[in-house]
Amino acid sequence: MKCYLCKEQGKDTEAVAICIVCGMGVCMEHLVREETELWEGGYPFPARKLKKTIPRIVCVICHEAMEG
Amino acid sequence: MTDLFRRSIAELVGTFILVFFGPGAAAITLMIANGASKPNEFNIGIGALGGLGDWLAIGLAFAFAITAAIYAVGKISGCHINPAVTIALWATKRFPTNEVLPYILAQLVGAALGSFAFAAAAGMDAVTIGGLGATAPFPGIGYGQAMLAEAIGTFLLMFVIMGIAVDSRAPQQFAGLIIGLTVGGIIITIGNISGSSLNPARTFGPYLGDMLLGGINLWNFFPIYVIGPIVGAVLAAFLYDYLARER
Repeated sequence: MKCYLCKEQGKDTEAVAICIVCGMGVCMEHLVREETELWEGGYPFPARKLKKTIPRIVCVICHEAMEG
Repeated sequence: MTDLFRRSIAELVGTFILVFFGPGAAAITLMIANGASKPNEFNIGIGALGGLGDWLAIGLAFAFAITAAIYAVGKISGCHINPAVTIALWATKRFPTNEVLPYILAQLVGAALGSFAFAAAAGMDAVTIGGLGATAPFPGIGYGQAMLAEAIGTFLLMFVIMGIAVDSRAPQQFAGLIIGLTVGGIIITIGNISGSSLNPARTFGPYLGDMLLGGINLWNFFPIYVIGPIVGAVLAAFLYDYLARER
């Protein structure tokens, strides 16, 4: 799979990931990898943050949209 | 997880919400019904306006307050807002021993503050006529009968908490709504028997407020609202564990 955003710019770059939001194939330059906090519990127990996080990959366009 | 101090404050706030709005609704009902003709001795004023509808209104006030409290502070402290629930979770080894006392103290302080705040907001009639929504056995109901009603009512409350919130197989996010409505339903039925406290803290707040602000002294009934709810909640927790285990 090729990077969609590179393709739009006339480049032919291999995609290394897929955006979890829009499903676009993206190269290293067009992705944002974030760590998402994980919580467990809740009523009737206090919620606790887990030590490990979940990595999340989105394209730069979706990342900008989610950041507002 | 938030530290114990802040979780205790969350319990305090949750119990404040419960006692201000729940017993507050009972006190307001008595204040509105003051002077209304009462059809029989079993009717002390709650019921003089709309029969069992009065209890439905009070039950819904509790339901909405509990639902609000659970969704507001449930993830912070667990929102027990009830010593009987805290003790039942501790008895079934789900809650640490060293946190039981801070939680219960916070619940009692929150309940007392809720009653004082209600008296401050509604005026002294809330104490002298409304009794701050304090619970007591109704006319013709004995000490043991009231305790039995409290135990059965709290049994149902804790049984539902186990089923909808503690059990990991339960559907997520519905607990606050279901538990609030459960308390509302219990109040409709046993409200006119024992007052339907289901919660030592919920009774402690109005009792303390009444005593210190010149209202009626009801402390001789307090064991009903300590023993009944704790016995009911602990039995429900153990029974649920027995019924729900895989083997």
